[in-house]
Amino acid sequence: MKELSLNILDVAENSVKAGAALTQISIDETDELLTLKIIDDGCGMSEETVKAVTDPFYTTRTTRKVGLGVPLLKLAAEQTGGSFSIVSKSSEQYKSEHGTVVSASFYKNHLDFTPLGDVVSSVTTLIQGHPDTDFLFTHSFNGNVVKLDTRELREVLGDVSLGEYDVIKWIEEYLKEQYDQFG
Amino acid sequence: MKVVELASLCGFEVLCMPDGDRQVSGAYIGDLLSWVMGRARADSAWITIMSNVNVIAVASLADVACVILAEGVTLDDELIKTATAKGVNILKSELPAYETATELVGKV
Repeated sequence: MKELSLNILDVAENSVKAGAALTQISIDETDELLTLKIIDDGCGMSEETVKAVTDPFYTTRTTRKVGLGVPLLKLAAEQTGGSFSIVSKSSEQYKSEHGTVVSASFYKNHLDFTPLGDVVSSVTTLIQGHPDTDFLFTHSFNGNVVKLDTRELREVLGDVSLGEYDVIKWIEEYLKEQYDQFG
Repeated sequence: MKVVELASLCGFEVLCMPDGDRQVSGAYIGDLLSWVMGRARADSAWITIMSNVNVIAVASLADVACVILAEGVTLDDELIKTATAKGVNILKSELPAYETATELVGKV
């Protein structure tokens, strides 16, 4: 994909689909390295399935026989000399602590590094699409941290849905302000 | 024109051709797989320098008639097996993408 933010959206959608109550998206940047982690507490996967998801001919969709979200993220990381991994605990095996961690690291100075792109838009799209599940987004770079925790917002908002237009607009502005502050 | 005829007329090496009778119509050049996935037309010849398993998946998804690997890029045996199993025709050209495409002019 032309932007990593689209990969993030795609993988986080898998987390929601896996029934996650909380999906954590963390981006950790140094001058050299960008590390992306998507951590969920969804139903997880068996060992066999974990092996299969990096194969593009594996998909949970029934409408087509190829699934490219995870394979393309892996490719994007590896073509910068970075790495990719998935660790998962299935709810069948692990009753209390189950879920999936997708990690990808990218060498930012490699010519084939895919730019991060509009990550604010990915985060707001996720929240708008799934207002009843929680997301914790953190992006740290040079010691600065941009953060959004929908659990905190939910406490303040009470009965108002996170999917409301005004709430989404506010979240968008809130994230943009934080980015502006850190330049 | 059929894939098998195109390969022989243009002098492309055949890496695998499970469906040589497939008709080719038009061509597309691209290496960013997610981009190609949404844009390469069905039945076209797709010219690329990428050579991982995702190429086979995109070719299958976009339903192109064949993949032409340019610049002498090749696939390892395992991937050729996968392409054969998935019914994806893969040809190989020693020329860069543009020159490979000019070989197709008037034929597809």
